[in-house]
Parts: sequence; structure tokens; C-alpha cells
Amino acid sequence: MSNKVVYYTGCWANYYGPEIGQAFVEVMQENGFEVLVPEQKCCGMPMMANANLKGAEKNFQFIMKSLYAAASPGYDVITTCPSCNMMLRKEGRKFFDSEEAKYVSERVFDADEYVLRLHREGRLNTNFGEVPLKVFYHNPCHLKVQGLTKEPLDLLKLIPGVEVVGTNYNCCGLSGSYGMKKQNYKRSVEIAQKVWEEAKKSGAEAVVTECGGCGLRIKEGTGLKIVHPMVLLNQSYKAYKARKAA
Amino acid sequence: MLKTPGIMVIEPSSEQGKRRAAGIFSRKDSYLDAEAIKTSLKDIRGYTKNNCVPLLDQLKRSLEQYSGVKVTFAENAKNAASRIKEIAGPTTLVSMNKSNVVVNELRPELHAMGLNTHLRYFTEFNNFDVETFKKKVEDYWSVPGMHGRGLVESFEVRKQFLRLNPSEVRDYVAILGVNAASAEDGTLYFLQHMSNISKDLEQARKIILVVSVEKVLKDKEAALLHTRSMGIFGLESILLDLNPNPAEAYDFDQLPVLPNIQEREEREVHLIILDNGRTALLNNGYQDLFLCIDCRACARQCPIGKHLMVERGLVYSPKNYILAFLQGKVPPLDECLHCGRCEVECPVGIDVPTLVWKTQIEYAQKHGRSLKKRLLDDPEILAKMGTLTAPLANWAGSLPIVKRIMELTAGIHHQASLPTFHRRTFKDWFKGGARE
Repeated sequence: MSNKVVYYTGCWANYYGPEIGQAFVEVMQENGFEVLVPEQKCCGMPMMANANLKGAEKNFQFIMKSLYAAASPGYDVITTCPSCNMMLRKEGRKFFDSEEAKYVSERVFDADEYVLRLHREGRLNTNFGEVPLKVFYHNPCHLKVQGLTKEPLDLLKLIPGVEVVGTNYNCCGLSGSYGMKKQNYKRSVEIAQKVWEEAKKSGAEAVVTECGGCGLRIKEGTGLKIVHPMVLLNQSYKAYKARKAA
Repeated sequence: MLKTPGIMVIEPSSEQGKRRAAGIFSRKDSYLDAEAIKTSLKDIRGYTKNNCVPLLDQLKRSLEQYSGVKVTFAENAKNAASRIKEIAGPTTLVSMNKSNVVVNELRPELHAMGLNTHLRYFTEFNNFDVETFKKKVEDYWSVPGMHGRGLVESFEVRKQFLRLNPSEVRDYVAILGVNAASAEDGTLYFLQHMSNISKDLEQARKIILVVSVEKVLKDKEAALLHTRSMGIFGLESILLDLNPNPAEAYDFDQLPVLPNIQEREEREVHLIILDNGRTALLNNGYQDLFLCIDCRACARQCPIGKHLMVERGLVYSPKNYILAFLQGKVPPLDECLHCGRCEVECPVGIDVPTLVWKTQIEYAQKHGRSLKKRLLDDPEILAKMGTLTAPLANWAGSLPIVKRIMELTAGIHHQASLPTFHRRTFKDWFKGGARE
């Protein structure tokens, strides 16, 4: 691991959840990393989902060139969006492979996964302050199918005050624009019932999930506040500093 | 009595219970190892995929030694159905098992030819309390995940039909999709959870065994492993299907036993080897579908499975849907969320989500894409427009009239929550931060 990382923001953290991107950058800075954010475009998964092979290829190859150029000294590439992560790591190469894509895909990590890796190696800054919050954790499909089910909970355990009062590993039914489409909406909302009911019953004050889409759908059905693990982690670092300063 | 190949019926075994008990005494983990089974399964399925044509020839030769079974090769479902109609003669009453090849592929053709078909599987649900089995979508997720806990159910040969006994014969036709066939000696394997298959083998005057070409395995050992694996990996999906279906119910047991001994002696056993577009898969990028054992494990976690089974009346699995699409029977699976869960469940590692994308892309290349699809495929264009005009775009997006217009033009449901645009994007902050 080097002291620089490349951050692939994806559309969500750039346009809809800038607080996620900011939190990630600050968390990495707390750990002595410089964060590089090279030129990027949408990962192409929404295009694949709408059968636009050409568009997806154009974006994917642009991203891979750009990320390769930034990561070529041996830096890791981190994402905060599970679907972008799956596209860069696994799905895109099945259709548009290249040397650059191979290099990049082999060093793509999810932010939770990366932070925990630092922790396991004894390199994580553990100056965590109290964040008193009862949370419900929802594991997005695109982390689940990559085997990233335990990492987010291990990460939340690091934050003093955060209490996980419930977890859910089902599909939320949104899947990007899928669940917004007129022909899918009813089905999508039915699929969401399970996570909605469990989150509401749990007594949580907020729902933690990595996926912006899942967050949108869960908020729609529960009215609960949605938080990305990086935001909580960043709050925890800030709480520590605030306490120290006081 | 008819000289037929051996027919083995595999059922849930009590061995599992015995092993568990033994495990408690010996303090050893007594469960079967799912990963070890998967490895062997991939081997034998890979062999079938790579040797399909020679295996078919070998099976045909093996079956020649059994004078009691008449073998036909059918290129497509229509040909198979014509042959079935010919065999059935004046009889229109048909019992069939709940196999993909029979229900999804042959049934519509048989109905068109005036045959009356029933899934006997569901007849055995007569005494079930319907209310208990009323399922909501969320129950789909509530089935215990055996494999996640390292548990494996076991299935063993419980019944063997080496000669068909004529004492119970009734006047109807049974069409049974075979789960595996051994090319080496022609032995046929079925998996049954109820007793519908063994009853049909005992009772039907005419038995038509349907072997789809990918169900031919090297030898008995491979065919047995294939069939047991269907039970092991498909158990949870089977549990999801435990619903009574009154429309299917027909009491074949109540049919009178044929009084004339000669008629009973005239039982017929036919075997149809059906391709129906399968060998073409070997050359068009869908060859991994040949690995499938039809356990339907992929259906277990499919978020849309429950809906599609009800809505389309199929023996549903994402893989079955792809096959039906490739056979030209259904539109591409636009309902797929690309969650990737089916791939994780598949014991032979078929990348079903990628194959679904492939079908959608190929369809679009042939037929073009709808305007709505084109409007929604680049979230970045929408995001850039929204960001430039935020917070106005957020306010406008919340207006009922705008929501209705979006529903009409872009196909976005008026009740769907939309994400909120931010005037200052992450990149603005990041650059600004760098400048400061």
C-alpha cells in the first residue's frame, strides 16, 4: 500500500451525495493518504442496464485509461458506490477488456473494505470519538454478491457509540433507474417491503448503507436518515478532535 | 413385461438424519461438503458441454438394446409435440412432471394440439391448508439459507424401475422430463419430492420420457451425482414453490385400473430426445447454459422470481428465462435488476447476470432501443443538468405536474423518489479545497 489512493467517485458521490466523497477524502487524509481524483465518467452500468453497449464501452474505456494513468505508480483505486465497484472490478471487463482494465480492476477496493484492511494491518488511525447513534445496516446487493457482507459491520464496530440495532441483506428493489420506471415501480416497491418493515421495526435513528440508490429507496419507505459508513467514520474522527480541543 | 432401461427415482433421504446422529456421537462434522460436490459437478457438466454430440450418439446406441422403449429424436418442441400426439392416439388426458422442458417448452404445443395436461405434483397438495401457504414476496427471502450455514440435504436412490409392472395401469399418458441420462448404459434418473413421478411410472398406460440434450451424462455415476445435486442445491427453491394450485389438480389415482390384462400388457414406453435450440447454444456465446442442472438455485434469491412465476406461468428460474428467450418464446428479461444474486447461488458457476445483459444487448441491436431507455441510460447527463439548475430542478421535480410529465415522457413513475441535486458537487468541493 502506498500513501496515495485514487478515488473513483461515481455519479452518486459527485452529484447526489457530495458529503460521501468529502467524508471519504477526509477519512483518508486522517490516515495520511493523499487522495487523487482523476477525470472520470459514469461507470457505464446504467448504460448496460439499458442495453447501450456502445455508450458503456466508451465510458468504461475512458475511465480505465484515466484510472490507469493515475494508479500506475502502484496506487489502489477506491470506490464508495457498490455498483461502480462491481462494474470496475468485475462486470465491465467481461465485455470490454484491456490491459489497463486488468491492471485497474485488480486494485479496486470498496472504501469499507479498504479501511478495514488498513485496520488489520495496524495502519488505521484509531482516534475515534463518540458518535451516539442507533443504526440499521442494509447491505446492498452489489456488495453482498462480492462477498462484502461482514466488513461494513466490522467497520461500524470501530466507531464508539454506534449501535447496530438491525441488519438486512435483501434487495431494496431500486437498482438505479429500474425501480423508478413506471413498468417496474409496483414490483420494486413490493421487493422493498422487507427492508422497510425491518428498518422501521428496529427503532434505529438512521440507516447505514453504502449504496445511494438503496438509500433513496429506504428513505422513501421509512423516512429515516441515510448515512454512508464513511460519513460516520469521519464524524467519529471529528468528534475525537473536538473533544481533544475542548 | 417391457424391457426398458433402468429408471432410478431419487428422493430426500433419511441418511442425513442418521449422519447427524452419528456426528453427535463421534463429535465430527457429519455434513456433506457443498464445495466438494460443486467441484465434481462442474467436472461432469463440463464433460457434457464439451462432448454433447458423441454422448447423444452413445445414448442412442445404449438404448437400442432395450426393445421396450421406442426412441425418437425431436429437433424442436413442435416436432416433439406432434410425436406425442401420435403416441397418445385417442387419449387426451396427460400427466406431466414439473420439469422445465416439459412445462415451459412442450406444454403450450401440447395444448395447441388438444391435449389436456395436469401437473400431478400439485394434486398431492390437496390436503394443504391454503392460508398457511399464502406467500407474500418477502417470504421469498425467509427460507433458511442452508448453504450459507454449510448444511447440505441428502438425496439418494429410493425407487428403481427396472421392469415396469403392469398391475396398476390406468388409461392416460405420462410425459416425464428426465433429469439425467447415462450415455454408457441408458439408465435414466428422476428427482422427486412428492410421489408423482413414481406413480406415473406405475400407472400410466403410455409413458413418454423426454430427455433434453444437455441432460445426457457420461455414465451412471455422473448421472446420479447430477440428479442428487439438483435436489441438494435446489431444495430451497423447491420450498418456495410449495403452493397448492387447484387449477392443476386432477385425481389420477381415481381413474379405474384397466380391466383387460391384455391392455395392461400393452403399456408403451417412448423416449424423445429433444434439442429445441440447445445445441445451437454451443456456438453463440451461451454455451455455459449447457452446464445447468436445472436445480433452480438461481431462483432462490432472485428478487423478481416470485412475480415472474406467477405472471408468466413458467417453471421459473433466471436461466430458464434466458433459454426461453433464446428459443424465441419470451421478450428479453427487462425485469432483471442485475443484482447478481443468481450467479452466487449457481453450483456450477454460470454467470447468469452477464448472459441476461447479453440477451438484452443482442435484442436491442436487432430491434433498436425505446426512447425511454435512451433517455435514462446516462445518469450523468441528467445529473449535470440537475446540478446546473439546482435547487430549481429539485423544486420542479417535486411538482405533481412535472412528475406526471416525466411519467409520460421518460417513463419515471410519478410516485418514485428522485435523488436531490446539489449546486456544489463533490468535484467542486475537491477542487475548491485544493485551491484554498
